[in-house]
Amino acid sequence: MTTTIVRAFRRAAVPLVSYYVVTLGLPLANGAAGAGAPFARHALAVLVVPPILIALGCATHLLLEWSHRARN
Amino acid sequence: MKSRLFLLGAASLTAWGLKRHYADASPDDLLWILSPTAWLVGVTTGATFAFEPGEGYLSREHLFLIEKSCAGINFMIAAFGMLVYARFHRTGSAMTAARVLGVSLVAAYLTAVVVNAVRIALALWLAAHPLAASAFSAADVHRFEGICVYFGGLVLLYELVRWFDHELVGRPFQGRHAL
Repeated sequence: MTTTIVRAFRRAAVPLVSYYVVTLGLPLANGAAGAGAPFARHALAVLVVPPILIALGCATHLLLEWSHRARN
Repeated sequence: MKSRLFLLGAASLTAWGLKRHYADASPDDLLWILSPTAWLVGVTTGATFAFEPGEGYLSREHLFLIEKSCAGINFMIAAFGMLVYARFHRTGSAMTAARVLGVSLVAAYLTAVVVNAVRIALALWLAAHPLAASAFSAADVHRFEGICVYFGGLVLLYELVRWFDHELVGRPFQGRHAL
């Protein structure tokens, strides 16, 4: 199971990095950190939600795989 | 090596140019991306959007404005960078580099229009069906929806490139899975 999760994160690494660069890297480079709490709230959501989505996708994939195996 | 340097330089310049254009542009300057997006949202949801100069595309019946910040330019830049990176190792000549640059730009534009239209259509639906007794504010829900759709769009686009390489071109994917 751990291998599947690691593989999923590796596979999604390029889209994840692209997303982080544009949503966090560029605003930070432009001084968005000075905005304080609103940017911190945005940054927290942007940091946390994509890994959760990857984990959820992985869990769904594993569940489907198990149910397929159980049927056969 | 020279062609890869050319690709890197040209891609960085293109991304910077897009960002610069977006920073200085009014909604009227962004019609090239706002118009097809508003049209696609209208087709999929049945909502009617009319252009308001200096504002964007407004749906009076839904009280919904597709404005500058809804243009999806940041997503387009992320998709463009990702596509160039996925093809970077395939670049062997100046001609291939130019082709990678052109195809990535067009694909990023088309994906941005489609993914952004999906995001706005979902936002329209969520605005019409607010989550009762939710612990989250409307702004939180909108932010969460935006992250899911944009990140999901990038993952799907990357998977599409991988599928294209494996199934259609018949070559193993040479872009790196991880950085």
